[in-house]
Amino acid sequence: MSAAQALVGDLALRHLDAAYNLGRWLLGNEQDAADAVHDAFVRAARSADTYAGGNARAWWLAIVRNCCLARLSARGTEQRHVAIDQVAAEQGRDAADALLAQGDAGDVEDRLDHAQRSAWIRRHLENLPMEFRETLILREIEELSYREIADVLQAPIGTVMSRLARGRALLQKSLGPLRPNEVKHGL
Amino acid sequence: MDCSSARDLLAPYFDGELDRAASREFEAHLDDCADCRAALIELDALRRTLRTDLPRYAAPQALRERIRAETPKPVAARSRPSRQRWLALAASWAIAFVAGAALVPLWSSHGGNVGEQTARDLFAGHWRALAATSPVDVVSTDRHTVKPWFAGKVAQAPLVQDFADRGFSLVGGRIDYVGSARVPVLVYRHGQHLIDVFVLAQNEVGMLAATERQGYWLDVVTLGGLPAAIVSDMDASERTRFAQVLAAAN
Repeated sequence: MSAAQALVGDLALRHLDAAYNLGRWLLGNEQDAADAVHDAFVRAARSADTYAGGNARAWWLAIVRNCCLARLSARGTEQRHVAIDQVAAEQGRDAADALLAQGDAGDVEDRLDHAQRSAWIRRHLENLPMEFRETLILREIEELSYREIADVLQAPIGTVMSRLARGRALLQKSLGPLRPNEVKHGL
Repeated sequence: MDCSSARDLLAPYFDGELDRAASREFEAHLDDCADCRAALIELDALRRTLRTDLPRYAAPQALRERIRAETPKPVAARSRPSRQRWLALAASWAIAFVAGAALVPLWSSHGGNVGEQTARDLFAGHWRALAATSPVDVVSTDRHTVKPWFAGKVAQAPLVQDFADRGFSLVGGRIDYVGSARVPVLVYRHGQHLIDVFVLAQNEVGMLAATERQGYWLDVVTLGGLPAAIVSDMDASERTRFAQVLAAAN
């Protein structure tokens, strides 16, 4: 089955960042995400001949997600939350420390602000229930269509739309009013 | 369209999931509804925050190397037709533009001049076409298929020519909307660029001037005696050349 494995490897490499990003947001740390993605690659290569056509990226990410879910249930529910919070806290602090060490005063303020915002938005996203978090990541960051997200989640499009709506509403509520961004509009 | 039905369309519109006709209807509602506009702006602010401030984790090099090592060497060249891949590419990144960029012109020119509104419709039409499954309703590299297709759909069928020998191949055509008028659009391809040529009636041109939005350019030329608006993201020299090619067509 080496021809199928070549195609799957190619597909996995092309969408490796998307897979890893999804895994990172589902599992909360680098090692688990990397292992889950590798699990997914092995599983995908084995089931390559069951791929029935259609969106290849969605097929691949569905497998990645299933491998992540398998790890989550092996890990146990309480542990999942702890792992995410711990790492997020560490990273927020490390990022801020790293940035403080470089640059001159004006730069530091901007970059510290970005690090703070980054830690802040990350914390709120991590507090969202998983089904809303993953739908938002797939739509807003990975820019999958509704149809593709439905394929990844193995759920109907209606479910995708309602999770997206509720996830957005929850996040908007918890974030509060957002600072207007400097946007290069044609205004 | 009333507000309660519009609300259901807000997220799909924002996510580029509406077809051309539904997008048009929704945009018309937006012109008159400050609440829906505000809701759209909030969705946009959330999206921009997520895309700017949220980390998007890249796969560690070690993972990439590991998978590469376990993948046998690819055998043959990819068999997907290049046109399909180009459309998929255009669609996947253009969706971001449709949701983000199309928000801006919608009500910024409210009460503005006709030229501004026409430009708005032209850009919106181009972006919707990029995000759609296909930018054309009739596919052909043969003008004898495309020109008759327009008959009965618009008052005057446009002058249709293929300029493949000069690097601009005819992809096909579609009907789009400018103002309240149905307008024939000829779609050309130049490398990775999709070019829309909106063939307008004399009274639809108004004070339309060449302009740029979000990296896309609008130029105005004459095609077969009618004013035509060209929308694309080509660079200046390519746009000049295409405009000359069109102007010389007869």
